[in-house]
Amino acid sequence: MRYCMQIPLLVILMLVIAGCASNGTMVVLTPDPDGKTGSAMISNQAGNVELTAPNQATTVSDSSKLPTTPAQMDKEAIARLFADTLSIEPKPPVHYLLYFEKDLTLTSDSSGLLPEILRVIGERASTDISVVGHTDSVGSREYNLTLSRSRANSVRDKLVENGVDANHIKTTSHGKENPLIKTGDNVNEPRNRRVEVVIR
Amino acid sequence: MKTLCLMVLIMTLIFVGNPFCMAAGPEYIGIVKSLSGDVVVLRNNSSVRAEGNMKLRQGDHVRTGANGKAGLIFEDDTVIAIGPNSSIVIDSFLFQPNEKKLSFIARIIQGTASYLSGQIAKLAPNNVRLETPHATVGMRGTHLLVKVD
Repeated sequence: MRYCMQIPLLVILMLVIAGCASNGTMVVLTPDPDGKTGSAMISNQAGNVELTAPNQATTVSDSSKLPTTPAQMDKEAIARLFADTLSIEPKPPVHYLLYFEKDLTLTSDSSGLLPEILRVIGERASTDISVVGHTDSVGSREYNLTLSRSRANSVRDKLVENGVDANHIKTTSHGKENPLIKTGDNVNEPRNRRVEVVIR
Repeated sequence: MKTLCLMVLIMTLIFVGNPFCMAAGPEYIGIVKSLSGDVVVLRNNSSVRAEGNMKLRQGDHVRTGANGKAGLIFEDDTVIAIGPNSSIVIDSFLFQPNEKKLSFIARIIQGTASYLSGQIAKLAPNNVRLETPHATVGMRGTHLLVKVD
């Protein structure tokens, strides 16, 4: 009888040990898609460690133990360890700024960007596109809210005319409240007369 | 009769209350952009099988099975991917630059994850962190790989 009790206890103990057999957390700093590398600070109760160079890694076994000294990790080892994760990593969203001569007329440079925008939407099979309208500070708040909405709608309509599903586009309008270049009121600033398109 | 009155009252409150709920209600914070295998999203104590382009909300818990993996894109351009047997919770996502409300906190409970910083990290780097059972990771605009087991 005593042994009968002990066997399940032993099994439970083994399961608990197996469950606790954690290696902890590994953090690897890798270059951004544009090639630059930022930095990361790994901290817990015991202190902190900073990663500053590409492919540097540290591991932490316990929240009360200091992370290991950063060490360079082999590129192939990184690729192997994170192969599944990296294979499903989506491309970062792309932003475009389209500028307006006045009212709803796009500058010729910005008009020229439309084919590229359509191409990128197609390439990514994007179903999540933001179109955000802005104005400069000439005119009243209400006037500019209406104008920024019309600008966003005009860009949306161009995309839809070229085959993009309207349900995939979310338009918002910020009037003159969210300038790219901060100016006083009633200032004609071409860089603020814009629509931002974000393709996710 | 009393019960009927009460029901009408409750229904009225629900319908009147709803527009307020919607105005203050959970906005979507990102999408499941790519996925394969078993991926579920746990929200409000229920679990939904994830589909491509599914919208995510603050507090969502994304979990993958042994054959699952998923890529998430957030409204501020942050990109997160998780590998098989992984579990991650988006504890906080605030992206309202005009009101300076900015925060991104994700908890990696288990598995492998990649993180590519977005605009929140640019505008308020101190309000961005990844948490694991063993440590907290803060960063200056970058691409990180994290493995928790």
